[in-house]
Amino acid sequence: MSEEVVQCRGVTRVYADDAVPVHALRGVDFAVHKGDWVSLAGPSGSGKSTLLHIIGGLDRPNDGSVSVDGQSLGGLSEAQLSDLRLRKIGFVFQAYNLIPVLTAVENVEFIMQLQGIGASERRERALEILDRLGLDDIGDRRPGELSGGQQQRVAVARAVVTDPVLLLADEPSANLDTATTKELLELLRNINENHGVTIVTATHDPMVMGYAKRPVNLRDGAIESDGASTDAGTTAPSPDA
Amino acid sequence: MKLRLLVQLGWRNLWRHKRRNGILLGGITFAIAAVVLANSFIRGMQVQMADNAVDLMNGHVKILAPGYLDDPGIAQSFEVAQDWRPDALEGITSDMVAGWASRVRVPAVIMSERETRGIQLVGIDPASENISFVGKLAIQGEGLADAADRRVIVGAGLAERIETQVGRRIVLITQGADGRNREAGYRVAGIYRSDTSSLEKIFVFTGRDTVQDLLETNVVTELSVRLTEERFSPPLLQRLANVFAGLDVMTWQQLDPTAAAMTAIIDVVILVYFFIMMGALSFGLVNSLVTAVMERTREMGMMRAIGMRPRSVLLQVVLESTLIMGAGIAGGVVIGVLAYLPIADGVDLAAFNEALSTFGLSNVLVPQLFAQDVILVVVLSLILGFVASASPAVRCMKMGPLEAMRR
Repeated sequence: MSEEVVQCRGVTRVYADDAVPVHALRGVDFAVHKGDWVSLAGPSGSGKSTLLHIIGGLDRPNDGSVSVDGQSLGGLSEAQLSDLRLRKIGFVFQAYNLIPVLTAVENVEFIMQLQGIGASERRERALEILDRLGLDDIGDRRPGELSGGQQQRVAVARAVVTDPVLLLADEPSANLDTATTKELLELLRNINENHGVTIVTATHDPMVMGYAKRPVNLRDGAIESDGASTDAGTTAPSPDA
Repeated sequence: MKLRLLVQLGWRNLWRHKRRNGILLGGITFAIAAVVLANSFIRGMQVQMADNAVDLMNGHVKILAPGYLDDPGIAQSFEVAQDWRPDALEGITSDMVAGWASRVRVPAVIMSERETRGIQLVGIDPASENISFVGKLAIQGEGLADAADRRVIVGAGLAERIETQVGRRIVLITQGADGRNREAGYRVAGIYRSDTSSLEKIFVFTGRDTVQDLLETNVVTELSVRLTEERFSPPLLQRLANVFAGLDVMTWQQLDPTAAAMTAIIDVVILVYFFIMMGALSFGLVNSLVTAVMERTREMGMMRAIGMRPRSVLLQVVLESTLIMGAGIAGGVVIGVLAYLPIADGVDLAAFNEALSTFGLSNVLVPQLFAQDVILVVVLSLILGFVASASPAVRCMKMGPLEAMRR
């Protein structure tokens, strides 16, 4: 069995802000292995985005445990979670991915700047990744001058430039047309297959699910089906499902 | 490294809303320039009040006979050796002393052919009076030649009232130490004009020896010492108290408590004025920062999500505030100083003469731009910028990345 990058045990998330508590996740057990591309799918409210956010340390479970690259997220402070995201996780969001006042190459450099990498090295690495992803001609443009597809590809470049152990993408194709979505997915496939980056996506989009190696369906806060549950060692849906 | 990134982000974010931030920057610049310029006027008034109080024959330190202030007459007098000098005192050097003057000042009556008025007759040595307003008087006719000069100079205001002029004779009547009246006729050598019109109606000057002759005495009623700097006052006060034991040795602040109180109040006025101007402006600054933060909540959430620490987000908001405040402060100080330069030699406020003289001020107000006042404005403004940015910055920091991205 390959190395586990993500491990979730009995993850429960209840939103109690409203009068009626909403059970977004009900004791989910789930693991992602190195080199995997897991697609979390399911209808709205199924818990796929919540699970993705909890794995990424953006949200905290009410119960259960989560670890990323062997590090438990429970008990980490906000600053420690920020550091974990900075060092180990790359993010691609549905929108608002890029910093509007920075050019594409500066956006790619941003995380490296936060990591304290020197100016010449980060510029070299940023230009290299943009070149590798076919974005070398838009490096000096700001997000407002880029198409939606270009913005998402720059976001991918930023997410992978520091070689994270995990790339999380939340509805990455939501604002893209079919052709651009295909381009983006080819890019993710290239990163996953040729560079060994582990990817977890949360999506409604069948095209994204089709590209993933391991589709995982959620319903009502529990895993309904796991495309690779046998060799991934994941558990069956929780009893609450 | 990270600070450079935050400064870069802050700087570029300011340029995102050129118009809004331009207006805010203009407001800060204007307010700072106004505060700098107004401070120079207020400080000028303070310096002038203190100078005028010292100039008004008080000096920084003055020696009087006990009881003179309550009953100012020749009976309250004392003797001073001709060769006495303050810089001969232990611990007092010549570079600490600007000058000194002994005088005989007594109440008197001046009579012309037409009018009679009560005045203060002051016997002076004109050579010593460079330490008081007397040495700076603009005189029509002639000034006094020396301490033995038997002529008088009168103020323009008084000359007009008693209808006299240069070359005419007047009669002075005053009381001697024995209680008997002394009177003598004197020729008007000159008519002086003062920046403070009330002085012209009060003081009549003649030679010190002349008044002593009139009163058949060799005493003086006051001895003033002017220093090169106010800070030398305490040691001089102590030495003089030892040397002139039994006499009243007083500072100008004790002699003119109203002027002293007003100069002290001005330090507070400067701060109050600053906080009114900048306080009003800080509402605009807070509003602008809150708007900027609200507009960028999702963006900041995204930055938090990809690994920016909460503290860095807080620092970024504070930096943006500091940058715009810093630019406004720099611009305001430059404009304030540029506006000050053309009026550095003084502003003629003759139209407000009566009101100004009430406050012990001259017709010409000389603004004073002190480095410490500018530094105070700069430091307080930066602190204000920090305080103004605290609320939106903390709000931004406390918001989780996910919550921020969902806004």
